[in-house]
Amino acid sequence: MIEEPRIGVFICHCGVNIGGVINVPEVTEYASKLPRVTYAEHSLYTCSEAGLAAIRKAVAEHSLNRVVVASCTPRTHEPLFRETVKEAGLNPYLFEMANIRDQCSWVHMHEPGKATEKAKDLVRMAVAKAALLEPQTEPEVEVKDASLVIGAGVAGMTAALSMANQGFKVYLIEREKEPGGIVRRLYKLYPTLARSSEVVGPLAKAVKSHRNIELMTSTTLKEASGYVGNFNVILATPNGDKEANVGTIIVACGALNYRPPQGLYQYKVLDKVVTQEELDGILRRDDLGKPERIVMIQCVGARKGEIRPSALEAFPRSDTAELLRKILKARKEEGWPYCSRICCMNAIKNAILVKENSPKTDVVILYGDLRVYKEYEDFYKRARDLEVRFVRHIEEVPPEIAQTPEGKINVAAYDALSGLEVNFKTDWVVLSTPLRPRRGEVLLARMLKVPIGTDGFLMEAHLKLRPVDTNVDGVFISGTVSGPKDVSESIISGEAAAARASILMANRKVRTDAITALVDEDLCIGCGLCEEICPYGAPKIEAGKSKIREILCRGCGSCAAECLRRAITMRHFGDHQILEQVKALLVPTG
Amino acid sequence: MQKAVMVIGGGIAGIQASLDLANRGFKVHLVEKDPSIGGRMAQLDKTFPTMDCSICILAPKMIECAHNRNVQLLTYSEVKDVKGSIGSFKVKVLRKPRYVDESKCNGCGICAQNCPSEAPNEFDENMGMRKAIYMPFPQAVPRVMVIDKDSCIECGLCDKVCPADAIDREQQPEEVELNVGAITVATGFDMFDPSVIPQYGYGRLKNVITAMELERILCASGPTGGHLIRPSDGRIPRNIAFIQCIGSRDRREWINHPYCSSICCKYAVKDAVLIKEHEPNTVVTIFYIDLRAFGRGFQEFVNRAKSEFGIRFTRSSPGEISEDPSTSNLVVWFEDPTTRTVHHNSFDLVVLCPALIPRKGVGELAKILGVELDNYGFFKSADSVRKPLDTNIPGIFACGYCLGPKTGDVPDSITQGSGTAGRIAEILGAREAS
Amino acid sequence: MEKEKMRERAEEEFEPLIVAFCCNWCSYAGADLAGTSRFEYPPNVRIVRVMCTGRIDPTFVLESLRMGADGVLVAGCHPGDCHYQKGNFMMERRFNYIKKAVDSIGMEPERVRLEWVSASEGGKFAALVREMTQQIKQLGPSPFRLAQSSA
Repeated sequence: MIEEPRIGVFICHCGVNIGGVINVPEVTEYASKLPRVTYAEHSLYTCSEAGLAAIRKAVAEHSLNRVVVASCTPRTHEPLFRETVKEAGLNPYLFEMANIRDQCSWVHMHEPGKATEKAKDLVRMAVAKAALLEPQTEPEVEVKDASLVIGAGVAGMTAALSMANQGFKVYLIEREKEPGGIVRRLYKLYPTLARSSEVVGPLAKAVKSHRNIELMTSTTLKEASGYVGNFNVILATPNGDKEANVGTIIVACGALNYRPPQGLYQYKVLDKVVTQEELDGILRRDDLGKPERIVMIQCVGARKGEIRPSALEAFPRSDTAELLRKILKARKEEGWPYCSRICCMNAIKNAILVKENSPKTDVVILYGDLRVYKEYEDFYKRARDLEVRFVRHIEEVPPEIAQTPEGKINVAAYDALSGLEVNFKTDWVVLSTPLRPRRGEVLLARMLKVPIGTDGFLMEAHLKLRPVDTNVDGVFISGTVSGPKDVSESIISGEAAAARASILMANRKVRTDAITALVDEDLCIGCGLCEEICPYGAPKIEAGKSKIREILCRGCGSCAAECLRRAITMRHFGDHQILEQVKALLVPTG
Repeated sequence: MQKAVMVIGGGIAGIQASLDLANRGFKVHLVEKDPSIGGRMAQLDKTFPTMDCSICILAPKMIECAHNRNVQLLTYSEVKDVKGSIGSFKVKVLRKPRYVDESKCNGCGICAQNCPSEAPNEFDENMGMRKAIYMPFPQAVPRVMVIDKDSCIECGLCDKVCPADAIDREQQPEEVELNVGAITVATGFDMFDPSVIPQYGYGRLKNVITAMELERILCASGPTGGHLIRPSDGRIPRNIAFIQCIGSRDRREWINHPYCSSICCKYAVKDAVLIKEHEPNTVVTIFYIDLRAFGRGFQEFVNRAKSEFGIRFTRSSPGEISEDPSTSNLVVWFEDPTTRTVHHNSFDLVVLCPALIPRKGVGELAKILGVELDNYGFFKSADSVRKPLDTNIPGIFACGYCLGPKTGDVPDSITQGSGTAGRIAEILGAREAS
Repeated sequence: MEKEKMRERAEEEFEPLIVAFCCNWCSYAGADLAGTSRFEYPPNVRIVRVMCTGRIDPTFVLESLRMGADGVLVAGCHPGDCHYQKGNFMMERRFNYIKKAVDSIGMEPERVRLEWVSASEGGKFAALVREMTQQIKQLGPSPFRLAQSSA
């Protein structure tokens, strides 16, 4: 029997984030008068120590048995408040949130009156649901002390070694024949100019010989199922399928260098128009010779977008008719809006390598912004000391590439300082292109249920706070699969993902959500529809009734929605709990 | 092998390292020089490019540190001596006296309300005042008051009004000796003091401020309650200039910060957008050399700043800032590199984006630990490509901005913090969590 | 004549009330992202959080309309991206008969919509709300609402 609800409502100002738009005291006053609300208060930052202490105090003083917090999003703060409610002596599931910031004050900043009314509605809805909440217990699951690392590049190998050194079994799979990923194919790395083999070599040797690592090359992930602590994976190896059972998964399958389409800057039309990756190969083979000049073009396929009139503001001499005409005529060049982070340094590195090999070669780098961050400024200086020429050009007018009668290549660009057209007669044109996600990544993402960001790379659970976690518990990401990084950054992220994964495996157990399906056997007729539709095989018909194996239930609620007899409900998201919210919204006096 | 570890520095990197280590089963001693953990991120208003309220996303982690059974917070404390080696470091930590009993104080603040003595508020970059007995900031962890003896006039009022009898004026510094298997350093950064460059007028001209001072102004819990007003007369600035690379990328010997501080372009654009959100009619101009807006989502954010918010970008490094004494408005002198002519524009407020430098006192700490610093005073990686988180001493690691501007933003500091937790778990070989 | 006048007056000041069922992993997260990105949209939407659109019983949608919602939005993950594999597919299938049911009681089927919004599509969520609010404004108040107000 549900006890008589005594609901406490705590409304947050969140500094001015909420309080600057919504009349928080007015909403608090309103909340205090809602049915079954015993107590209401507001605070500057409900999630601060002071705010949480106030909740605990109020629960004790007013004998509250339900707590509603109206603040930000449950997706970040529900665990914190649930913990606080637990500390106050209540079951953590007797807690509900009203999202009056991300879904109210932040999106209605210029309509404070309406935002305040909406906040009242949202609080009323949360209170209605809170009145119907019941205590829940979270099942505990075992975590297998093995991990699957997908991709044996520098990030994957680092992650694998870290976990293996801690004593965990690691399945390290790699689609190519050799580990090493994209770094293996590079020549030298910045800023030390160490050979890539000096980085990849020791890592590859270590993963091949470590007794806790099972390295499988020419292997991909075929199927994945299960949940945190207990993933069942099927690996497609050259010797057939292999099954494995792991507790955690780290995705480290890397990225690829973008290859421009044929014709862009005469790529694949003229022989000596190449990408930086191809130049790397040429330098490694010592095939460059001593050309007179090389021109590098930055941001080919990156930082692309429509030309906006405001962009013209930064340009000098844009009253030059010729330039204006070209800018307005320029089509949106193919590419993506993001910056690929490593291309400036990569170009400088290759420029330095060329200069050190043949000092008389004129190396020109055409760029828009030179993103040489950290202490890499010293590397940039080194290039300038070697007389590499850095020419800032007007990016909105893509350089024109044409073959000259003497068999050279002419690069025509607009110098940003003078606004004048400049022509470079060059032997080689090198295109700096961004890292792009692998095409297979989409399938992998679907298999593991990891979302993909708007830039095409895998999405981390929270861009700021959880850079190597994903929304799927037990699945982590590291390396360039979540966005462009240089080698040291990839290694650090591999170490970080391993640290996060090993927490689960070291603790051997993890609590899973209490949001699972519940069958009312009196209503169940054993039709088997739930068994048929569940993607996880949680319901099973036994003795004419559906029995839900809670460990397998992920809480989607499809069975509850499909059940023709309304025999299944979801804990914490029951039909009545959802409908009461709607009713509280639409029929407030009802 | 000790199952205990130490984290020196309670900013976001140190907090992340502590939580990952604690959840992994290690006992973590988190040593923090200031009376509260939180570091620089606690001082920010919003973080780029997601525009999350900074303290909102930081506070849950700070609170987790306080509640986690495996984390021992040693705030207002410093490391004084380290002996031993990997697996067994003997560390002496000096706990500075708060003159408040941590076990009794509940942070109610009645003492501060009654305290008659004031001092500049360090958390607000000395722009506002705090009492001699104070809470470092509203969301401080631990939520315990602290008395600054320098500004305390010993009137004893706090003692009289404290309902928890928590004032302890006889409190002595306490030396604690700890035995740990490994150490992570996460001491963060300070901001370069731009008054060293007299042409920019910082410290002399009232309306020239640093970016951190701007953050505190914009923050709701800051000295102006979140109102964008300028120091000289409290008016809303209608024309604001940001100047990048104050001290960064500067090879002049007496400055010697030739590196790029990595986050200033990003936070300048963020602050510019924040300003426009507060005051849509204010014009914001950013003077820059190269706009280093790398990092996920950042270029897209800059595009939005230009097109949606109308933020102006001028590629020029101003040479001088002068003042119009009647209005306290500022005149920024800059060269248009394309026409080679010198221009000047008037602004109500100028925000300088200074270089980020190693935290004061880090040199001493490095000596105590025996760890090498690089030319600029940051902790040196054993191998900047292959072992970026290791130092020259086995068992001692570093993460966050104390390693230098290795991108320095929040996700990278967190990744590095987790990374050192991984390295420590590797070497201490603990497979089972305790 | 009375009803006509009331309808006219109601339509003049008419601000639709739209109930949106959003799934925790995609559309609810997308709505949060619209917030952190400060993409503004009209305040006519009230979000009800569910773990998956697969949870949504057709009764939820129909009851919402019966109780007076001017529009109902169900927003889930893009096909193939459902956190629970196929919850959104099941919702899609159900949605066909929801639309038929709405039509059969004489309401404009455009009042109910099923859309796909991912966690990274904050802009899309905001645009969707703007567009749907405008559309429902043009359709006018829900006949159930008018019936209630004239009762």
